Amino acid sequence: MSILEEISEFLQKGKRKNVKALIEQALEEGIDPKMILKEGLMSGMSIIGGKFKREEVFVPDVMMAARAMNVGLSILEPKLVEAGNEPIGRVVIGTVQGDLHDIGKNLTAMLLKGAGFEIYDMGVDVSAEAFLEKAEEVNADIIGLSALLSTTMLQMKEVIDLLKEKNLRDKYIVMIGGAPITNEFAEEIGADYYTPDAASAAEAAKKAVESK
Amino acid sequence: MTNRENLLSLLRRQGYEHVPVEFVLCPHLQELCKEKLGAEDYEEYFGFPWRRVDDLKLADQDVEKFRKFYERPLAEGADIDLWGVGHEKSPNSMHMTYMRHPMEDMETLEEVMEYPFPDFAHADGSHQPEQVKKIKEQDLVALGDMQMTIWECAWYMRSMEELFCDMGDENEIAEFLFDKVTELSLIRAKAYANAGVDVLFLGDDIGMQHTIMMSEELYCRWIKPRLKKIIDEVKRINPEIIIFYHSCGFIEPMIPHLIEAGVDVLNPIQSECMDFGEIYQKYGDKISFHGTIGTQTVMPKGTPEEVKEAVWKNLDIAGEKGGLFVAPTHMLEPEVPLENILAYVEACRTYRRS
Repeated sequence: MSILEEISEFLQKGKRKNVKALIEQALEEGIDPKMILKEGLMSGMSIIGGKFKREEVFVPDVMMAARAMNVGLSILEPKLVEAGNEPIGRVVIGTVQGDLHDIGKNLTAMLLKGAGFEIYDMGVDVSAEAFLEKAEEVNADIIGLSALLSTTMLQMKEVIDLLKEKNLRDKYIVMIGGAPITNEFAEEIGADYYTPDAASAAEAAKKAVESK
Repeated sequence: MTNRENLLSLLRRQGYEHVPVEFVLCPHLQELCKEKLGAEDYEEYFGFPWRRVDDLKLADQDVEKFRKFYERPLAEGADIDLWGVGHEKSPNSMHMTYMRHPMEDMETLEEVMEYPFPDFAHADGSHQPEQVKKIKEQDLVALGDMQMTIWECAWYMRSMEELFCDMGDENEIAEFLFDKVTELSLIRAKAYANAGVDVLFLGDDIGMQHTIMMSEELYCRWIKPRLKKIIDEVKRINPEIIIFYHSCGFIEPMIPHLIEAGVDVLNPIQSECMDFGEIYQKYGDKISFHGTIGTQTVMPKGTPEEVKEAVWKNLDIAGEKGGLFVAPTHMLEPEVPLENILAYVEACRTYRRS
């Protein structure tokens, strides 16, 4: 097994220390940090995401893998900046106004990050204006909206309506998710994508920016 | 049958004479019921069959001692509960709060061991037998509400991500924290049982909308034996006590484990996550159910007629033995029309088996 495959394997098992040690070793061996990111960390996250989607693993496994990824990234990031590595896209993500639930949103952010996106996590109770302002500021590709409650899911429409009002609707891909959300609801409010789980969200986001 | 006998018999799948009603209203709907119906106490107004008995009262009510555990200070106006968990409010979020976890930044077992857990061993339970007696005298069922029993209680203090990582690492923090929480829950549970409650309501969310939250393996390693221990001890005190257990979401693979742990009634069987007919067919001879009327769908979005149909359909599934205490699955939020609440009540009161 190559060292990059090993990194991917240990990441999937959430073994932070092994991931850290192997990345340090890989850098010493002169392996391109971009390769370590892609073939090691991102590959591991993509495999764990796939297993999550197929219900072979569950939330704890994704959280532990994401934590191992973050440990790895903290070593890699300075090298990636030097190498001028660009993210595959930028995502502004948050839980909509009036809603304070963030477990699903955080999980989605982890898997988007693992897929190579730069994440701007706005936290919870985020107003439509704040989403838009941040998206404009960082030149985002995607706005990701989360809601757990049937009460607050209606706020998703507010964000889309605001984008329309400012003539910015076509500039952004709007993705929505959360327990009460359905495809019908996404269509009704004019969102671009609804995905039922965090791993599908990362996959859809990847495809969406590739075809943008 | 008396009111009490009716509910207890229904829950034991030994038949029933009338369909009891029960739901939880958000503060907005409570106000609306006062205004439109003159229902000062909606539990009484609608004739709920049970009343809650207060938990043990801690001698030390000071929650300020927990503030020092928050490296990033709590937002202004945040409440701290008796476990030290912070609840930050937002003007936009009605009665909901954002939870902060006092043990989130702890790195060693020593730090966790030194945490000032609520001292239930020296708490006062002298009010409980009196309350139970009064409730029973009113022909009502006495309920001890102890949801967030093990897993959620530990998660709220430690944070889900940290606790899952502790469990995955098989570290001493997870072992200690789960043991501690189980010990404290057991004290509370035994106090309720000794006071004579008819029903003890336990719970820990282990489901998400379409999947279980953690693997069965992880659940059985960490949580199931501890839940079983609590239920075993409670049933040793009172073999007749009825154990309710709450978990949101899809939890079908967990149901056999919950039955093995000694759960008698499962709440809430969210209609958006599991099919009640299927669940009843598979497990209806071993466990009863409470809930089944969807609060993501029919309660806020259906017509009153659709609400009634959902109630009747599920009561028909359960049949004449009972085994279904039909109710909305969660707290009713502001967008639920009053007509739908009244339709639920009417459906229960007018139900005739088809």
